[in-house]
Amino acid sequence: MTAEPFLTMQTIDKSFNGVRVLKNVSLNIEKGEIHALLGENGAGKSTLMNILGGVHQPDQGIIQLNGKMVKMTNPRVSQEQGISFIHQELNVVSDLKVYENMFLGSEIRNRAGFLNVEKMLRETHDIMAQLDVDINPKEYVRNLDTSYKQLIEIAKALLHNSNLIIMDEPTTSLAEHEVHRLFELMRNLKKKGVSIIYISHKLKEIKEVCDCYTVLRDGQVVGTGSMKEEDLETITRMMVGKSISQERFLHLHPFGETALQVENLSSEGLFRNVSFSVRKGEIAGFTGLAGDGRTELFESLFGYRKKYRGEIKIHGRSVKLNHPRKALKAGLGFVPKDRKENGIIKDLSVIHNMSLSAMGNFERVGFVQEQTERKKFQHYKEMLNIKVHNPRVTIDKLSGGNQQKVIIAKWLEAQTDILIFDNPTQGIDIGAKQEIYQEIIALSKQGKAIIILSSEAPEVMRICHSIHVMYQGEITASFKGEEAEEEEIMQYATGSKREAVKID
Amino acid sequence: MTNANIKEYEPQPSTMKSRLAWLWSEYSVIIAFVLIFIASSILNPRFLDMNNQLNILMQVSIIGIIAMGMTVVMLSGGIDLSVGSVLALVGVISVLSLNASGSILIAVFTALLVGAFVGFLNGLMVAKGRIASFIATLGMMAAARSIALYIAEGGSVSGEVSGFTAIANNNLWIFDYPVIIFLAMTALVYVLMHKMRFGRYVYALGSNEKAALLSAIRVDRIKIGVYTLTGLLVGVAAIIETSRLNSISSSSSGVQYELDAIAAVIIGGTRMTGGRGKIIGTLFGVLILGILNNMMNLMNVSPHLQGFVKGLIIIIAVVFQKRE
Repeated sequence: MTAEPFLTMQTIDKSFNGVRVLKNVSLNIEKGEIHALLGENGAGKSTLMNILGGVHQPDQGIIQLNGKMVKMTNPRVSQEQGISFIHQELNVVSDLKVYENMFLGSEIRNRAGFLNVEKMLRETHDIMAQLDVDINPKEYVRNLDTSYKQLIEIAKALLHNSNLIIMDEPTTSLAEHEVHRLFELMRNLKKKGVSIIYISHKLKEIKEVCDCYTVLRDGQVVGTGSMKEEDLETITRMMVGKSISQERFLHLHPFGETALQVENLSSEGLFRNVSFSVRKGEIAGFTGLAGDGRTELFESLFGYRKKYRGEIKIHGRSVKLNHPRKALKAGLGFVPKDRKENGIIKDLSVIHNMSLSAMGNFERVGFVQEQTERKKFQHYKEMLNIKVHNPRVTIDKLSGGNQQKVIIAKWLEAQTDILIFDNPTQGIDIGAKQEIYQEIIALSKQGKAIIILSSEAPEVMRICHSIHVMYQGEITASFKGEEAEEEEIMQYATGSKREAVKID
Repeated sequence: MTNANIKEYEPQPSTMKSRLAWLWSEYSVIIAFVLIFIASSILNPRFLDMNNQLNILMQVSIIGIIAMGMTVVMLSGGIDLSVGSVLALVGVISVLSLNASGSILIAVFTALLVGAFVGFLNGLMVAKGRIASFIATLGMMAAARSIALYIAEGGSVSGEVSGFTAIANNNLWIFDYPVIIFLAMTALVYVLMHKMRFGRYVYALGSNEKAALLSAIRVDRIKIGVYTLTGLLVGVAAIIETSRLNSISSSSSGVQYELDAIAAVIIGGTRMTGGRGKIIGTLFGVLILGILNNMMNLMNVSPHLQGFVKGLIIIIAVVFQKRE
């Protein structure tokens, strides 16, 4: 080891709107090292990397490269210093060729202003050879595997002579053999003296490829060191933290008969052999990392996706659900994630959003009775504490929490026995979150079967009677709500542990 | 303390301002209509003449009926370029059935049926075939015109049953039948879109198709319904068009009607991408276009320049709507 680390970030502080997101964070990266940056969602990883990438400015603290102070005033400066950021979503244009993507925005031109294709092809070829990969520079990117697309991004970083590459969850969209290809590449880069900061939730992968780690929790560094000396369980514990377990709302009451039973549901490339059942009055939670297939699973169940095999039984009757309307008739309700894209209809008023899935309740001889709608909305407004002055304004004028309550009211009005909530508290402030939890619990007491999908294990632990953990499209573990431990959930969610037989 | 005071007084002007903004965004087309109406009556005294006013209504009735259908299609997020060609096709077929059967009732029924069926085909292509509405109806535009030309051998067909012309040329009190039919169709579409669930679904679909589907709306059926309704209204328009001169030309009838209809919808404030707009807006959009045509005729503007003025108005209308 050299005396001077390649990159040091010292005592970085950053606040957004008076909330301290990073507290006194320091990070050291050696030359030619693969460094894992770990932490749960909201721990401050992206903020720290955005400071390094010049997107945000730190309130305090310094950044040194090769012992020299640098100020990353904007992303361009960071790039000129040799830092490349590879984001989770790939930034390649699939309708262009490989070399065109490589030189996008920095094309080589000859004196007359025409593109120098020859030279670009040669340079692309050279870099690909350096990386030990065999891609035809003239191939269209859309014909390539996802891992190769990732590779193009990495090659682009090398083209700009990057000596530090930040990779933000690069493996979420990769198949297993593609992951291995990526790791091989990372080791090659390491030999060439390129440092890599690797952000991921998948601990098994990290163990395989990283040299050092730094764990962030609530904006603070809670551990750093060499990967070899630490086992995965210790790191998981560091990420989760023992002290902060929030109080559980879990309410135990007797369940009714089985409301929903799913057997061996599979869909090509999305999920495999999923079986579970939910009883009346039960709150079942599904958790896992991004890309674990839970959203696709329940979108299929709700009839939004049609290509799946397996059996679905509702109240003991086998049903075929290939359209959301059929799912609704069979007794399923679905509060989707990404409220803006999937939930609200932003040009419709608050009232009209509420009544949309159960128009029949408001009709008399084919005409919509607006007065009935208004009265019904008043009922839900009081019940769910929806804060809105004039419910005739379009729904996009409301805050996120209130929008979500309107969507919930929509499904309550549809009066389905089974309600699926996908990420119900996404982008909602704490007060509204609590109210939504309380409402979900109240619904379960009324005998509705509830399913909650969430990427945050603490959320499902707080209110669910049973918890299913998913990893790469499969349920890898099932717990009783009161017995679940966050660390254990994380181990199954990250794939570092697998359960052979499921407990009931 | 001072801060609190400021906060308390702030809402007053801002609600005033937002109310004005709301008035403008909701009723800008009506305000524009009133302004154009006043300007026209000042520019030319003959404009206000009762006969001239009724004449304007008569002239816009056919485009007006088509524009009502176009509004529904555009609210759903689509477009229908085939309306002009379908009008010619429906006209030709209904005249043939009129001459063959000798019954006006059968001719009318045939027109409605053929119009609705062609619209249904458009809907099938868009909903089930997942073809972009622009492409699907562009294809239908070419195909329907071609079939009309083939049936009529490139020329016109004339009705041979007396009484058929009464549909477009008689009047009730001072109103010609076409005007009454136009207003009736407007009322019908208004009720359908604002008082029934079909309309609610169309708005939802045009605003956010995925969310509409996830709200358990049968999106495909609504789409087919939208295009079928438009086809049906084109059928109504075709009856008036044919009855007016007791004949229809397979080559020149209905040409560019789709552009006039789309223009009226856009001037009426309906958003191109769907989900936002009003039937009343289109009604005034149609009237604005009618007044402009009328004024240009009264003021002897060269007919070759009239397209330029129309184009200018459409562009200005869209520029103003963008500022919401």
